[in-house]
Amino acid sequence: MRLLSHPAPVEPADDGSLVPATSGPVSAGSGAPRRLRRAGGFAMYRRMVVHDFARNRAVTSVLVLLMMLSVVLATASAGTLVRLIGASGSLMDRADAPHVAQLHAGGFDEQVVDRWVAGRPEVAHHQAMLLLGIDGANLFFDGEPQTTSIQQNSLVVPNVERDLLLDLDDQPVLEVAPGTIWPPVFHQVESGLDVGDTVTITASNGFVKDLTIAGFVRDSIMNPGITSSKRLAVSPVDLEEVRAHTGAVEHLISFWLDDPATQTAGFKKDYLDAGMPQAGQLVDSASFQMLTMIGDGMGAAVVILVSMLLLVVGLLCLRFSFLTAAEQDYRELGVLKAIGVAPRDVRRIYLTKYALLAAVATVLGLAGGLALTPVLTRNITRYMGSTSSLWNGVIPVVTALLVFVVLVLFTLVLLRRFRKISAVAALRSGSTSQQRRGARLRLSRSKMPVQLRLGTMDVLGRWPVYLLLFFVFAIATFIMIVPINTATTATAPGFIHYMGTAPVDLRIDLLHADGTSPAQFDRIVEELEADPAVVSIAPMVTTRNDTIDRDGNAASLYVENGDHTALPLTYADGRAPTDGTEIALSLLALHQSGAEVGGTLPVTVAGEERALTIVGSYQDITNGGTTSKASLPTDSDEVMWYMAGVVLAPGVDPAEAAQEYGDQFAPAKVAVIEQWRTQTLGPIADQITTTAIVAAVTAAALAMLMTALFTRMLLARDAGQIAIQRAIGADDQGLRRQYLTRILLVLVLGVAVGTLAANTIGQTLFNHMFEVMFGGFEMLGQGTSRIDFAVNPWLAYLALPAALLAAVTAATVAGSRSITAADIASLTTE
Amino acid sequence: MTTATAVLNAHGLTKAFNGTTVLHGLDLQVRDGEFISVMGPSGSGKSTLLYTISGMDTLTSGSVRFAGQELATLSQKELARLRLTTMGFIFQHVHLLKNLSLLDNVVLPAYLAGLAPREELNERAMALMERTGVADLADRDVTQASGGQLQRIGICRALINQPTILLGDEPTGALDSTAAAEIMDLLGQLNAEGTTIMLVTHDPKVAAHTTRVLYMLDGHIVGDRGQGPFTGVGIEQRHGDLSAWLLEQERGRERSTAVERAAGVTTQGGGR
Repeated sequence: MRLLSHPAPVEPADDGSLVPATSGPVSAGSGAPRRLRRAGGFAMYRRMVVHDFARNRAVTSVLVLLMMLSVVLATASAGTLVRLIGASGSLMDRADAPHVAQLHAGGFDEQVVDRWVAGRPEVAHHQAMLLLGIDGANLFFDGEPQTTSIQQNSLVVPNVERDLLLDLDDQPVLEVAPGTIWPPVFHQVESGLDVGDTVTITASNGFVKDLTIAGFVRDSIMNPGITSSKRLAVSPVDLEEVRAHTGAVEHLISFWLDDPATQTAGFKKDYLDAGMPQAGQLVDSASFQMLTMIGDGMGAAVVILVSMLLLVVGLLCLRFSFLTAAEQDYRELGVLKAIGVAPRDVRRIYLTKYALLAAVATVLGLAGGLALTPVLTRNITRYMGSTSSLWNGVIPVVTALLVFVVLVLFTLVLLRRFRKISAVAALRSGSTSQQRRGARLRLSRSKMPVQLRLGTMDVLGRWPVYLLLFFVFAIATFIMIVPINTATTATAPGFIHYMGTAPVDLRIDLLHADGTSPAQFDRIVEELEADPAVVSIAPMVTTRNDTIDRDGNAASLYVENGDHTALPLTYADGRAPTDGTEIALSLLALHQSGAEVGGTLPVTVAGEERALTIVGSYQDITNGGTTSKASLPTDSDEVMWYMAGVVLAPGVDPAEAAQEYGDQFAPAKVAVIEQWRTQTLGPIADQITTTAIVAAVTAAALAMLMTALFTRMLLARDAGQIAIQRAIGADDQGLRRQYLTRILLVLVLGVAVGTLAANTIGQTLFNHMFEVMFGGFEMLGQGTSRIDFAVNPWLAYLALPAALLAAVTAATVAGSRSITAADIASLTTE
Repeated sequence: MTTATAVLNAHGLTKAFNGTTVLHGLDLQVRDGEFISVMGPSGSGKSTLLYTISGMDTLTSGSVRFAGQELATLSQKELARLRLTTMGFIFQHVHLLKNLSLLDNVVLPAYLAGLAPREELNERAMALMERTGVADLADRDVTQASGGQLQRIGICRALINQPTILLGDEPTGALDSTAAAEIMDLLGQLNAEGTTIMLVTHDPKVAAHTTRVLYMLDGHIVGDRGQGPFTGVGIEQRHGDLSAWLLEQERGRERSTAVERAAGVTTQGGGR
């Protein structure tokens, strides 16, 4: 910034402020009106800022771009979160979702429930909805059988009062025309179905029923993929027609409470204790919201992290740009001080420049962020609709303004160093550069090539100059590796360890529907044990047992009972339970119990309270994260469902075996474990993978941009030293090698630190994310998630650093083209 | 003048910046062993001459032959190599690299040239620094030496590759009179040992140490005075004689400027 090269001469006014002179020499206190002087001052600032921009066009543009990107991501992620929270709550409101819902396999006596509810004053309303579960083998979407799907698809007649199914215009679907069907939007997104496609239901007796898709519904309680039940709306006539030929009857018993915030936990406990119909899961509105937020929440969390890191980089870049400009203007600043210009006026010039740049970046960034938000929230809108709320606009604007304020405040902090400028020192030396006594390497003691040695010496001797770039590379590496590690972890076959399951080939699930279910499961186990294609089988029976939580209140616990030593999973602490006196808890369940591994947990078994020893804890993201494993008696009324993990003999094709066993053991669902994992996690894993790719590309682009910017600024700062080297005979290729050495040395250090941070802090952040997702913010830092990154070393330690190296080298070579501009003639005296 | 002993031959040397001609078709020959000073008012093109004949700046037209090579035919890399191996440069403000020790500054051109093993170059550097009285400063950095000491370091750096010619742009301009005199004595000794030296200077006292003085005016060499070698005594006499000659050159300039004004001709000057 050439402070003194503007057209109009400058002189201090009698109040010390900087004003342009009018025609001819004007003495201080000339009597010119204050408003004219102020107007003249503004014009001068504008001239200076415009002049400086013209001189440093490339650097200024990149700085604005960086600040803008930060604002874009910050506003987009803020907008996404607002929409996510708003849409989720709004959907629940519009659909009038129940506060508590019990899925019950089979029929039940409605009067029993009615009588029990009559004695519950907190219940505002209750209702029961029939669900006709259609086996995947009998269900076809546009000709595709749903045999391998883990989704439990059920036909329902839509409710007309509460727990409404909404169409894509958020209008309640109250009536379905005969011959048509309204699947959930999940199937539109995941199965690619469209209006006009056909859903076909068959039965073993030759029955075939075709239904035409008339639209799609948003289901407030079964929307996301991680919820394995789905409701498809049909007419009463069609439901009865199908029911006569096929389908498993279930009921959804729903309750609305006066004050769900305080009454839900107690109500659920009392419901189960009263022996109400409970052949299935009992869930509440908190669970619905949590499940809804998992996928999109994770995506938004990653975007927020990236935007914050970008802001840090932007601030560092602003600092470097500021210091470079101050270095270049040091002599002129001394002149201004010497002629009596008030320091605040000097600061005002710089503040004007950077505030203007920040303002431009904020306005452009806000526009970009508002444009990007619909892209990020496309999924949210599809599943939950959109809500027009004032906050959708206010929050992004507030976020953008916050970023602007941070940038301006940071500039003010930087401007404090102008107080330390001595006019005399500045006029004499013309340089701010303090001699840094870093590592005292010597050229004269070196055997290295000269330019490599000079580059290394400069980095080690002037390391504060390279801090910006070092942090950029470390952050870029972090941004690349953490999402990639998250994606490889979530998609790794071994991830089933964190889903409460041992490594098996097949998984067989059977709901406890009625008194025949135990015999059915026993038959399945017998036949599998006798099957030569099966190497081992781990049958498990899940019961619901009473326990006491950390606050001393009665609580329910799902306990998976069986031989956990046959096919053990990986425990975070301790080991599998081996007998009826031991229990292992999921990390979240452990936290909720208030106990520790090695302690005891009171559990009611067959009506008697036992103090079970907690022998182990493990990660489990299924069933809301709260599960347990034991070997308790299961011949009571507390059985919920059955599960068998099957290990097949070598050479047996899991898919074929799953198909065969699915037919053989119907109505039990048989899934290849990999399919079960991908379908359960599917949408989440896809989102994480997409986010990882975007993050990697963003990080590489960031590194390239900052390298090119930094190289240009560094060359500008070092112009004098470069000119000297050229004068004494260094050639331009050699000088480029020197600068490339500097940049690549910083890159190596930055990548090393970034990789270390990714594998430590990154893993911790990843686990914090899971803690919040499954337990809410109160679980943050409680250790209820302990997933180890499944690192792909080829990708994380080789391919990504290599990509970064290539990007940075290209940027350095491009940025160092201006090395030839270091003017030897600037060394002349005339 | 015989070309057999010419180190540098410039013919029709012209240099223009943004349409303004700074050097007007100069002819110049520098013989082996000469000690030349180039003088003239500001803007006469003295430094421009120095930078163009050394290849640091490109010619607009003309020819410069140095060490048997035509500069205009050389690439940037070749020019850099030529400067590195056959020329030494001394600047007014020395221009050392701030992040290197003083010894490292001296050996840098030698390492870049790579004409001998590094041990030998280190020994040569120390010998030069001993000769110039700054050997004890080898391990210090640029902030730990006086102006005169730094200029001696600059001279060592310029000599490390045993150049054919030493070029200096106001080498004593930033020094006090005592330090300046010491530097000129040193340069005089080097010249006596056979080093060809060409300096740009404003100071007649500096020029009085040299054997030949060129006077430049508006991009032309208008005066060329031989004054014999300086033996170490009689500097005041030489200074006086030179000053009188310079005054004549100045008066000649004023007369021709007045004539041009009277004739309505404006003279274009201004250079570096």
